[in-house]
Amino acid sequence: MDNLLALVPRFAGAMLVTLEVSLIAAVLGVAGGFALNALRLRYARVLAAPYGLFVWLIRGMPYLSQLMIVYFGLPVFGITMTAVQATVVSLAIYASAYFAEIFRAAWASVPRGQLEAAQAFGVSRWAAFRAIELPQALAFAVPLLANQIILVIKESAVASIITVPELTMTASDIVASTYTYIGPYALLIVSYWLLTQAVSLLAQRATAMIPFLHTAANEAANKAT
Amino acid sequence: MNAPDLLARCASYLPQLLDGALTTLRLSAAAVFCGFFAGIFIYTMSASESRLLAGAARVYVSVFRGTPVLAQLLVMYYLPSALGLAVPGIVAAAIGLSMNTAAYQSQILGAGFRSIARGQIEAAVTFNLKRRQVLWHIEVPQVVRVTLPALVSEMIDIVKASAVVSVISVTDLMRVGQQLSSSTYRPLEVYTCAALFYLAITTLLSFAAHCYERRAASRA
Repeated sequence: MDNLLALVPRFAGAMLVTLEVSLIAAVLGVAGGFALNALRLRYARVLAAPYGLFVWLIRGMPYLSQLMIVYFGLPVFGITMTAVQATVVSLAIYASAYFAEIFRAAWASVPRGQLEAAQAFGVSRWAAFRAIELPQALAFAVPLLANQIILVIKESAVASIITVPELTMTASDIVASTYTYIGPYALLIVSYWLLTQAVSLLAQRATAMIPFLHTAANEAANKAT
Repeated sequence: MNAPDLLARCASYLPQLLDGALTTLRLSAAAVFCGFFAGIFIYTMSASESRLLAGAARVYVSVFRGTPVLAQLLVMYYLPSALGLAVPGIVAAAIGLSMNTAAYQSQILGAGFRSIARGQIEAAVTFNLKRRQVLWHIEVPQVVRVTLPALVSEMIDIVKASAVVSVISVTDLMRVGQQLSSSTYRPLEVYTCAALFYLAITTLLSFAAHCYERRAASRA
């Protein structure tokens, strides 16, 4: 038990690394996904095919293979990154495809008739976007975004393979140097579980604060998280 | 680096990558198959009247969905060997992935079970069918029909998640990629080839699910 307590500070530090890497990647991924969806809506004719290709490629391949390409493959072109940089970059790109699809579904959930009605009343495109589409789409998206952020946190464990000193790497290090297994692995599972539960609780709070939330889609998504 | 050379080299990787892909496919199929039955078991636990069983099912699902597959696999592989019961990597991988997908499948199947009209089960009980007969002959066939697209997308997720079994020394597609990369010193093309193999598998699976959905829709 004493041994276990002695490990807690190291795990707390590693948890911060996991949180930092995955939250930076998630923020970049949300921004990227939002931008991708906005561009796809604005330039539908030109961008539909490249957008589809991007989403198909990213979602069809395991994150680990993408990380390997970025970390070990890109140096061939002279693009060299540290393990942490490669993780953040590849995780952000990976997540952006998923976030873009969430925003796409969110925008599709706003009935077209509302925009046509707004147009008929002379509401500008920007005002309609800000006051009609955005609030409803965000209300739809928030639970799904939270779910995706949890997936990003879990996916970040893969970074241990390229020696990013996050939770999984730290647990493996402790196991290798002390030959104790149960303590470090128990702490590893508990640490991840606490992180993902915290995000899911925060998301439920955030969801409760946004209006327009009592649609069937959101209730289904809440159940899923 | 000209194109014919590149193609010739990629072709030379094919046999080994194909071998790895077969391991990945077998492992994922075994995990999804076992996870299906385990998922039904967990769902029946969570739907039971016993609060203890229902609570245990909730904890199981929460832990497996709330932690990374990689962490689960490390535990499955190293913990038994620490307790004096060494398991080969492939067995640990199969058990770990099965237990992981069981948690997700219990949720997918649960939605299917809830979609069945209560009247059917009441009618079956009236006809003196046993609980087990009702489950396997009345509920499960309908549940599979309704949830098949979701189960296929779970299979896709497991194929992708299985890439991390390379860490517990299973020679799957990803591991073959790592071996080829360190023997050829051409990480970019090797990892890209491996990734394209994954893409082919996941695309075929999602195409199959798409066809099934269209057929089901045209029949309805």
